[in-house]
Amino acid sequence: MSEAPIFHSKYSYHHDGKAQQLDIHEILVKRSRLGIFLSYFMVVVFLGTNVYFVTTKVFCILILTFFEVNIRSIWSILVCFLLAKFLHYNPVKKERVVIMPAFGVQLETHYWSGRIVRLFVPISKILSSMLNECVTPVTCYWSLALLLRDEGELMLVFQLIRFVQKLQPPLKMLVPVWKALRAAINCEETSIT
Amino acid sequence: MDQQRKHTILMVSDFFYPNFGGVESHIYYLSQCLLKLGHKVVVMTHSYGKRTGVRYVTNGLKVYYVPWRAFLMQNTLPTFYLTLPIIRTILIRERISIVHGHQAFSTLCHEALMHARTMGYKVVFTDHSLYGFADVGSIHMNKVLQFTLADISQAICVSHTSKENTVLRSGITPDRVFVVPNAVDTAMFTPSTCRLSCDEIVIVVISRLVYRKGADLLVEVIPEVCHLFSNVRFIVGGDGPKRVRLEEMREKHSLQDRVEMLGAVPHARVRSVLISGHIFLNSSLTEAFCIAILEAASCGLLTVSTRVGGVPEVLPDDMVVLSEPDPGDMVHAIRKAIVMLPSIDPYAMHQRMKKLYSWHDVAKRTEIVYDRALQSSDENLLRRLPRYLKCGSWAGKMFCLVMIVNFLLWCLLDLWQPVESIEEVPDLVFIRNEHEDVVHDSI
Repeated sequence: MSEAPIFHSKYSYHHDGKAQQLDIHEILVKRSRLGIFLSYFMVVVFLGTNVYFVTTKVFCILILTFFEVNIRSIWSILVCFLLAKFLHYNPVKKERVVIMPAFGVQLETHYWSGRIVRLFVPISKILSSMLNECVTPVTCYWSLALLLRDEGELMLVFQLIRFVQKLQPPLKMLVPVWKALRAAINCEETSIT
Repeated sequence: MDQQRKHTILMVSDFFYPNFGGVESHIYYLSQCLLKLGHKVVVMTHSYGKRTGVRYVTNGLKVYYVPWRAFLMQNTLPTFYLTLPIIRTILIRERISIVHGHQAFSTLCHEALMHARTMGYKVVFTDHSLYGFADVGSIHMNKVLQFTLADISQAICVSHTSKENTVLRSGITPDRVFVVPNAVDTAMFTPSTCRLSCDEIVIVVISRLVYRKGADLLVEVIPEVCHLFSNVRFIVGGDGPKRVRLEEMREKHSLQDRVEMLGAVPHARVRSVLISGHIFLNSSLTEAFCIAILEAASCGLLTVSTRVGGVPEVLPDDMVVLSEPDPGDMVHAIRKAIVMLPSIDPYAMHQRMKKLYSWHDVAKRTEIVYDRALQSSDENLLRRLPRYLKCGSWAGKMFCLVMIVNFLLWCLLDLWQPVESIEEVPDLVFIRNEHEDVVHDSI
């Protein structure tokens, strides 16, 4: 059965439980166009001010200073571009969890560029799924993780992307996925015993 | 007023498990008893090594080990405003109604109380120690305390002496300070099943061997007592910088067979050390309360202690012999205790302690303080700022500036991350069945 979609300012959740005995949960990321526009606008403004300083030669009394200003400008442009990318640009379009009962779980990441990364975890390898509260120096958030047999680390269901941007869907979207994973794992355990 | 009103309390301190100490055990036992009374308690402290994130201890007590590093004597680095986001997040997601800070020496406590007041929460502060007035460290600490207590809802002290000390240091009005003493876990500290013979009298000392705890007094007292009484033996537990002096004293007077040095004693083993003795000796130079003598009395030991700070308020006269912090007077007090020893019944003492001190009683009294705190009116920033101006001609203005900047940062944070975007944590209900503990949640 499918549940009603859940909407949030940044994410939306959809569930399709009818497709050929597969249980599919999707979390879509909304792209903030205003955010991207503002970040690149900031970069253009910074670029503009640097070009202005270079042309009016405010700092360039000596040749050494001229080179310094150029290097400083290039460096600051690079920093601004990187910052804009990190802050606003999220390459992930949606994350999908496909639960195949008695077989396994497939974790898919769909990017805006069209690339899809898939990771399959056999059901026998999963011990349990859990909702973790993660505490950072500035905030707390929930994350969904799988406890695997013979592995020292938890596997995050919604992963780190390029070690910077991390999907942090709200708890109300994680709970149906967690319940479905638990049901699938418990079914498997009862069928073994 | 709703008598059955249940609160959601955030206990904040730099000092908590896995550290062991007076403040740590106070927070733990108080939280457990408040949970039994039906309130919800969350503890916030800094991370201890790899112990970071959310942990649940006994009975579902939730502890946030926030990953801020400790920088000096287990205190978090004081950053003034950088802790605002995490404290705001915890206060909103746990639906906190009261913030309870512990220990004047804890920087995390002061910052949390400041941010909680800015956000309009009711705050309570408990002071566990006595501080001086004269040295540079104390002057600065007292100024920080003045800032925190300028706008507190209620304060709690562990003895009347401590109340007087806190009121003088901070300038808070005495009618906002409650006295709620500490207690002892009498179920854990029980007397020995077999009574010790009085042929050889054993005097037990368990404390940190530092100047503040009177280790220098011990160095004078122990040889004198050993010389005067041939049947007296000492057991000294604990470690610290003054241990070297005690070892030297043992060597000098050849007391190796009469003075046993145990080194640091883990908290779980304290009872077994106590029940091997007849008399407990406390030589502290300053003490707001002294839980150690409560533990000793609960184990049926007669206590000899220095008459400092809040110690005279702790035990009845027939359970303690008090003396001045002077070696001669202490030897005289030990002589008096040895004479009193045959009339002491450890079990009767333990039963009396059970009636006198109980953490459940402390929790009920603290509940009254919380109810009183919640009755105080909500005030906006402009009405609260004049209280900081009273802290001093320069300090007052600086404190006002600090609070104004904190308020502005809070407004900015509200715009960046609105309250609606912070999810509230669902309540966990712990249900125990015969064989295992099972957690059911309300998700």
